Amino acid sequence: MSAGLSALDTFPKLLLQHAKVRADLPAMREKHLGIWQTWTWKEVADEVRALACGLAAAGFKRGEHLAIVGDNRPRLYAAMCAAQCLGGIPVPMYQDAVAAEMAFPIQNAEIAFAVAEDQEQVDKLLEILPNCPALKRIYYDDPRGMRHYAQPQLTAYDKLLEEGREALRRDPAFLEAEIAKGSGADTAAMFFTSGTTGSPKGVVLTHHALIDRASAAAELEGLNERDVVLAYLPPAWIGQNVFSYAQPFVTGYCICCPESAETMMTDMREIGPTYYFAPPRVLEALLTQVSIRMEDAGALKRTLYRYFMDLAQRVGGAILEGRPAGFANWLLYRLGDLCVYGPLRNVLGMSRVRLAYTAGEAIGPDLFRFYRSIGINLKQLYGSTETSVFVCIQPNGQVKADTVGPAVRGVELKFTPQRELLIRSPGLFKEYYKNPQATIEAKDAEGWFHTGDAGYVGEDGHLRIIDRVKDVGKLIDATLFAPKYIENKLKFFPYVNEAVVFGDGRDRVCAFVNIDAEAVGNWAEKKNLSYSGYTDLASRDEVYALVRECVEKMNADLALEPELANSQIHRFLILHKMLDADDGELTRTRKVRRGAIAEKYHELVAALYDGRQTVHIEAQVKYEDGRIGTLSADLKVRDAQTFGAAQVQKAA
Amino acid sequence: MNVAFFFEVLIGGLLAGVMYSLVALGFVLIYKASGVFNFAQGAMVFFAALTFISLVERGLNFWLALVVTLAVMVVLGIAIEKVVLRPLVNQPPITLFMATIGLTFVLEGLSQLVWGSQPHGLELGIQDVPMEWLSQSTGINISQFDIFAAGVAGLLVAVLALFFQYTRIGRALRAVADDHQAALSVGIPLKHIWAIVWSVAGFVALVAGLMWGARNGVQYALTFIALKALPVLILGGFESVLGAIVGGLIIGASEKLAEVYIGPMVGGGIESWFAYVVALLFLLVRPQGLFGEKIIDRV
Amino acid sequence: MSARAHPVGEVVLSVENVSLSFGGVKALQGITFDVREHEVRAIIGPNGAGKSSMLNVINGVYHPQQGTIKLRGREFHDMNSHEAAKMGIARTFQNIALFKGMSVLDNIMTGRNLKMRCNFLQQALWIGPARREEMAHRRAVEEVIDFMEIQHIRKTPVGKLAYGLQKRVELARALAAEPTLLLLDEPMAGMNLEEKQDMCRFVLDVNDHFGTTIVLIEHDMGVVMDISDRVVVLDYGKKIGDGTPDQIRTNQAVIDAYLGVAH
Repeated sequence: MSAGLSALDTFPKLLLQHAKVRADLPAMREKHLGIWQTWTWKEVADEVRALACGLAAAGFKRGEHLAIVGDNRPRLYAAMCAAQCLGGIPVPMYQDAVAAEMAFPIQNAEIAFAVAEDQEQVDKLLEILPNCPALKRIYYDDPRGMRHYAQPQLTAYDKLLEEGREALRRDPAFLEAEIAKGSGADTAAMFFTSGTTGSPKGVVLTHHALIDRASAAAELEGLNERDVVLAYLPPAWIGQNVFSYAQPFVTGYCICCPESAETMMTDMREIGPTYYFAPPRVLEALLTQVSIRMEDAGALKRTLYRYFMDLAQRVGGAILEGRPAGFANWLLYRLGDLCVYGPLRNVLGMSRVRLAYTAGEAIGPDLFRFYRSIGINLKQLYGSTETSVFVCIQPNGQVKADTVGPAVRGVELKFTPQRELLIRSPGLFKEYYKNPQATIEAKDAEGWFHTGDAGYVGEDGHLRIIDRVKDVGKLIDATLFAPKYIENKLKFFPYVNEAVVFGDGRDRVCAFVNIDAEAVGNWAEKKNLSYSGYTDLASRDEVYALVRECVEKMNADLALEPELANSQIHRFLILHKMLDADDGELTRTRKVRRGAIAEKYHELVAALYDGRQTVHIEAQVKYEDGRIGTLSADLKVRDAQTFGAAQVQKAA
Repeated sequence: MNVAFFFEVLIGGLLAGVMYSLVALGFVLIYKASGVFNFAQGAMVFFAALTFISLVERGLNFWLALVVTLAVMVVLGIAIEKVVLRPLVNQPPITLFMATIGLTFVLEGLSQLVWGSQPHGLELGIQDVPMEWLSQSTGINISQFDIFAAGVAGLLVAVLALFFQYTRIGRALRAVADDHQAALSVGIPLKHIWAIVWSVAGFVALVAGLMWGARNGVQYALTFIALKALPVLILGGFESVLGAIVGGLIIGASEKLAEVYIGPMVGGGIESWFAYVVALLFLLVRPQGLFGEKIIDRV
Repeated sequence: MSARAHPVGEVVLSVENVSLSFGGVKALQGITFDVREHEVRAIIGPNGAGKSSMLNVINGVYHPQQGTIKLRGREFHDMNSHEAAKMGIARTFQNIALFKGMSVLDNIMTGRNLKMRCNFLQQALWIGPARREEMAHRRAVEEVIDFMEIQHIRKTPVGKLAYGLQKRVELARALAAEPTLLLLDEPMAGMNLEEKQDMCRFVLDVNDHFGTTIVLIEHDMGVVMDISDRVVVLDYGKKIGDGTPDQIRTNQAVIDAYLGVAH
């Protein structure tokens, strides 16, 4: 089975290879005490070797799981690889998960060893220790605040490293033999999916699956060792992990870890990544920041910005793709690049980005075009944890706002009569850990993975995703109702942070809206509108009028799309609080849990449809420190105008 | 309109503006650090230039004379702190301003007492002639000396900027400029800092004195260049080094252009007062200057 | 929690019979108390009780008419600020005294002013020793920045920061001087609950991590009781209580003062 060290079919073997061929090139960078510290491939390999030997000496066995809890840190990535050296399986966990959420994966995989970033993560692990008796070793990277901890399970990462170095000196051959035993068919890592329903599922991925997909995408895009990536999303999310572990291990590029979440933007400007990945919500937040700054800018700047953004919308996309746009436009665009787009890219930290992806959920077309129009090669891709990410990618020159591109090398697509997308690819997961039932449901006998997404492939060969199969519904008159599509459209307005629309099986569509605290707060300040907090702001008539304007603008847009014209929003209300993952209203990746929300706020939904003008709500909220409080408020419900297609066209 | 000629006037004006900036810089340094409008800056320029040229004329080597003059300016800075500023600490700005007027007379008297009152020529080895290659290729006449002076000014500003940004004393100077009380509370010795600022201003005065002296001769009239710095300061703001530079450039360019293009209409000679008109107009629009701190009236 | 890393030790500072008056107003009347090494010592009292005056006497801003201050065995009739700083005292102010126009980093760097040795000439020429010194100090400052968790505002001008963050920066600047005795003048004043909790954590962390002796003034009793080893209570310039938080809680004179019973 094993093909020895030369086969490069596992991540540890790839690492050893890099340590040979690009020993002194940077593999990872981390900002520490204000200065970027560089780890070369050789240094990473040395660290991984010592760690692996340390873990082995501590009793970590082949096939065992290692929990990795923390943010993007070179040492945590090193720990991932160390586990793989020994034939173990790293399980990255969300660093912002609360303690209770961590218990399930640890019990499920009977995890005995964990590597945690700092005191905060250690505290959570210690909290669930009584429920997870198998957990016997916790290694912590940052010793700050750890001096008073006397639990026998705790050991400093540095100590582990030291013991490992000692073990390596005693028996230098041991580790190479262990690494050589590994093969591509072994499990490389396990990622727990956030799970919109039920307990999370551990997605088991092999070295072969991850390496195959990582290289297929790298080949398509020509990624190489000169590329630089900023690792800033949770490493427990497959997207981040592929970009900051699998792909650099395949291509040899360098990943950079920001100092902290708050310094991310500054760090990104300093590093200047060439390859960038962001889910739509991040891109949206960035755009909101830019818009706010432009609103605060002087009249001259604002005029320039508006003029050149208009120009970019018209010709930016064409120029980025090298299509003809007229010489005068080209010249003006260059000028705009000098005055607006260039500085804007610089502010966003994207001056050097030559390849950017967005995925995870549908992106608003305007948002997507914004980034492309200012010269950032933003593209969409489609994939999930179960497919080792890369299923479809938009090739350069074929980028469209409403598709996710054609299938990447090695991927087969097909559809069920209900429009559900099925996938077969070398990157498919092996199974859901200890959950054969779920595995059979998701992956049939012929090896097709049932994605649960509804979509179709157009004449251009590009895949288009409409929504989740289970979420695509019908209004009572049997016309199509695609809630996420409408929500995304609404969320493109800077004042709208989140939206939840209802309509399946009903006669018309209504919505909950979360306003964007920052954007609306700024707006209120300009209007001299004083308010005491989010709830107060959200209940103001002025704010309702503002949101109503957004809703009506969107309705006018929808009226022009024959299939969705009936999905215009008739009534809406502004929620008294932000939807929050801690309250079970969003998933950890910040997707709306429409079902849970409808159930929790059933009274509000009823009010949307029964014509009431106000509705009283009392809700429990969980504060950050775990305390539970109640909020009560009277929410207003407002009507929005809807349009017929003819009406809109006449107005335009 | 002849384009080459326009550029010649414009560039000539900008370069003259650099010379104004040099003088204005000395004002800004002292105003920032101690909140004093140093009326004696012009006298310091005169004093520095006269000391230097007198030393050279008495047979001292050029560089040695430069070092000695610099030392004299530093001693002067320390002396001013000890004799003038320290006794007047916590007095209103107008009192300190009056003190600097007194200082002007003392310096003017002292320099002429020691070195005599006859004018001197100052030779730095750079000819005030147009650069030939430029005249031949484009027809624009730019003085070699002006370019040299601009280079020196640029270097001086760069050195000062680095010093302020990256050294402890530079940081302490900025700290004092920002908030006297806070500076005292973290143990920054205010008196020490003032002495340093006045010495640095003395150094800047020396450079300005050399440039102006080489151009117009070292004579009593040098003290009046302080008056040229006034519109520059109004334009650029009293607290901004960048303002002093940009202000100088604008004043220099606009007065030369006005002299050439508007002057003939009103019978010429407007160069001497046009700068003040610009400054006055500017005062109406933006009283805090281009880069000065915004004046906010709190009610 | 296990035993503290720096157990409370000898008396390092003692204030003996100190009286201070401004004109006819008696700010402090015969105050005597001591501070032990590594402890967190609070001075509390209602507004106008003389707390800030006491701190200013220790720090050498005010010069008492009567009494002595003994710091590490040296006796002073009055201190001056510079001397105090040299003897390892650093402080923060009730009204934040930061350089508003300078960056957070530069502000904290000024805290190391007394530790820098290179002279004017070396610095002006930016030669070897000055540069090496700057680097070493920058590193020390970065450690403070890391400790106070203010990396994200390193380059931000202080004037642009929210009040709570400015307080944190001021503490960072005091820490940059590596003080052995830290005087905090109402570190939690004007903060919301969350910021107060953060500040408490930082105060305790400083004490725990560096072993710094801390004297802090606060009028909010609740906060102080949780984090202090011993508490002095002042009222109208007189000491009315001195002891552990538990003793203070049950001290009748203190209760009366806080409830506003007439004297």
